[in-house]
Order: sequence, then C-alpha cells, then structure tokens
Amino acid sequence: MEYVNPLTGFRVDGRRPNEMRQLKAEVGVVARADGSALFEMGNTRVIAAVYGPREIQNKGQQVNNKEALVRCEYRMAEFSTGDRRRKPKGDRRSTEISLVIRQTMEASILTDLMPRSQIDIFVQVLQADGGTRSACINAATLALADAGIPMRDIVTSCSAGYLCSTPLLDLNYVEDSAGGPDVTVGILAKMDKVTLLQMDAKLPMDTFESVMGLAIEGCKAIATYIREVLLENTKRLEYQRG
Amino acid sequence: MAATAMDHDGGDMVTPGELLGNSLTLVAGRGAYTEGRSVRASVTGHRRIVPPAPGSDDQRSTVEVVGHKAHGAVPQPGSIVIARITKVMARMASADIMCVDSKAIKEKFTGMIRQQDVRATEIDKVDMYQSYRPGDIVRAVVLSLGDARAYYLSTAKNELGVVSAQSIAGGTLVPISWTEMQCDLTGQIEQRKVAKVE
Repeated sequence: MEYVNPLTGFRVDGRRPNEMRQLKAEVGVVARADGSALFEMGNTRVIAAVYGPREIQNKGQQVNNKEALVRCEYRMAEFSTGDRRRKPKGDRRSTEISLVIRQTMEASILTDLMPRSQIDIFVQVLQADGGTRSACINAATLALADAGIPMRDIVTSCSAGYLCSTPLLDLNYVEDSAGGPDVTVGILAKMDKVTLLQMDAKLPMDTFESVMGLAIEGCKAIATYIREVLLENTKRLEYQRG
Repeated sequence: MAATAMDHDGGDMVTPGELLGNSLTLVAGRGAYTEGRSVRASVTGHRRIVPPAPGSDDQRSTVEVVGHKAHGAVPQPGSIVIARITKVMARMASADIMCVDSKAIKEKFTGMIRQQDVRATEIDKVDMYQSYRPGDIVRAVVLSLGDARAYYLSTAKNELGVVSAQSIAGGTLVPISWTEMQCDLTGQIEQRKVAKVE
C-alpha cells in the first residue's frame, strides 16, 4: 500500500511527511483532581488526572524516604478502538506503557521537595488513533503543571516512523500498523534532554538519526503549544479571580 | 473585586523549565530550582525578584515564581500543624493532620504524639487520657518525618496543645488553666493539655 503518494507527496490523511496532526489541549477538565488535562493529537484523545502530593497509601511501596513516590496508571477505554476491548488495563501493553510514562515523568518531577508523599497520575485513552503513548505523556505534563507540582521542565513526546523511504512525523493508526519502524521520543523541551526513546522494528543507523531528529522537532513544537496553553490558562484564572 | 495583596511586580509569566537567570547573580527561591549554572522555573506563574536581606553575606537577589495553584502542603520538620485526635492509647495518641502552617490540605496525613512529647515537664508521669481525648483539635509541631506509619508530633510548648474540644455532655470546653477545661453547658471540669492562646 502506498503510505506516501509518489506524485503529490501526501500521506494517507493528506498531511505532508513532516506535518504533525492538529493539537488541542484543555486544562482543568476533572474538577475534583488536583490537576487534569485533556489532550488531542488528531483523532487520538486522552485525559489525564493528577492527585497529589498526598500521604502514601501503601507503605510497602515506599522505597526512598527522602523522595515522593510517583505512581502512574494507563488505561484504554473499552470504546477507544474499533472492537470493544475486553481488558482495558492489566494486560501487558498497558502495564508497559504505565511504567514508561511513570519513568518519563519521574525524571522531571522534583521529588525531593515532597518527601514521604505520593503523586498519582491517571491517564485514560478515550479515542485511540496511533501515538497514544505520546499523547498520554503530553496530557500528564499539562495535568502536573495544572496541579502546581514542581517540575524541572515540560516533558513532551512525539512519534515518528519511516515508510516508503520517507521519515514521517506523528504516525496515525493506519501508518503505525503498516509494520514499519516507530520511534517514540520524549524530551525535556527547554533543556534539550531526552527522557524517553523507544523503537520497534529495525532501522539503519543514519536513517534512525534523521527519524529521531524529526521526532525531536515535533516534540519541541508540542512544547511551544503546551506553554501557550499553560500561560493562557493562568491568565484566565487570574482574570476570574479579579 | 478590590485589588488584594497579590501583586504582579516583575510581571512576566513563566512555565516550567524556562530560564530565569544565572546562579551567579540569582538564588532560586520558591517555584524555582538551580541546575548547574542556570536558575529555572519549576511551576507556572509570575516571576518575582526579592532583594537580598540587608546584612546577609550572600548579596544575590532571590527569584521566586508565584503560581495560582501551589501544590498541597506536605508537613516538614518544624512546621506547626493543626490535627484532630483520632485514637488515644496508653503511651501515644494518633491524630489526623488537617492544616500545615495555616494552609488546609485536601487529604489528611497521619501523625502520632508520643507520651514523652506531650509536655516539657515530668514527661514520664504523663497520663494520655488526661491530656487528650478523641475528637480534640490540637496545635502541634512536627518533630520528624517519623516511621512508615505516621509523622511524629510534639505539643511540648506553652502555645501547643488542645485548642478546641467538646465535653462529654456535648458542650464546648473553655480553658481555665493549662491542664483543665470547663464545659459551658454543665460546668463540669475536664483534664486536657491546653494550648495557651494569645
């Protein structure tokens, strides 16, 4: 199947190879949570809620007394994909993604400012169309910033692939299931540091560098957008407060 | 709405990770952190520069980021907390910490007052039942992060102890000395470790 039209250069959904899907974010969607956000990348919609810092519920999980414990749970809603999912959480993929998101966010949160407490991040995929991992990390960053939890930097994530000899930015579900390589990158935007790098399938080394570079550019663009959303939200709250 | 004490001097808004300045000229205050040579913001909010205290040997200004939503307070050693007593036992009392440094917290933390931390004098002759009863509101200071189960609290100062309590008859207890409180309905005297409120 041709994922990139050789004549026009368009992809299956009409985008160019280095074009990202439309981003949309909303902060403060779950009123009861300390911080929450809704993040959309094209048709992929995820919602994140952050509770904390609060007292550790399960003392057995606490490893380090001087730092906060970060917990993360990734779930897909049963209606998020085409066929109704039987097991929305607890399957291997969800457990792996929960771990990945937790490690990515933990690298950014200043945990030693909140010893002996716990921060819970819950992400739920409402609609899945490729790139759910990245959308969840972006939503979690917004929710943590909304909760006022101190972070080193904004963590953003984007995926990129390589189909029909072209690096493609932000794969959707059709392109993702084509069987080509899928590189997911998470970075600390202003500090230019990589906190997450995952790939499936194989790529030669020089191609990998160009695909990863493309994903990092996507991450930086998302970071600019997230910053605007945060500043806009703060202005709105101040205006409401008078 | 009338202008409150919240001022926007300095004004510009920053998001986490933004560079605020150099660590040679600025000290990172609340809402900011130091990374190598640079000082960066850790929350979203307005940047504010606080001039150095006169006479201190570090003449750098402090930069703070004041956000609209600070994350919930976490008890630190030395902070004054308001707690409600939940359980009184022979050698200790359990309490739920509700406010930290005059900021209410959304979800409670568990604290523990040991027999030797109730008061400063004659600590081995303390009777826990004559110091606290379940339901009393006490002001205490956090001694340490404690063990896995609870923070260690202490009321061994004049201004710490029971602030508000209900009598057995259901009326409010009024303090009459540093060990006694009187019910306003029945006049009955009950024993508590009372806080001296100024």
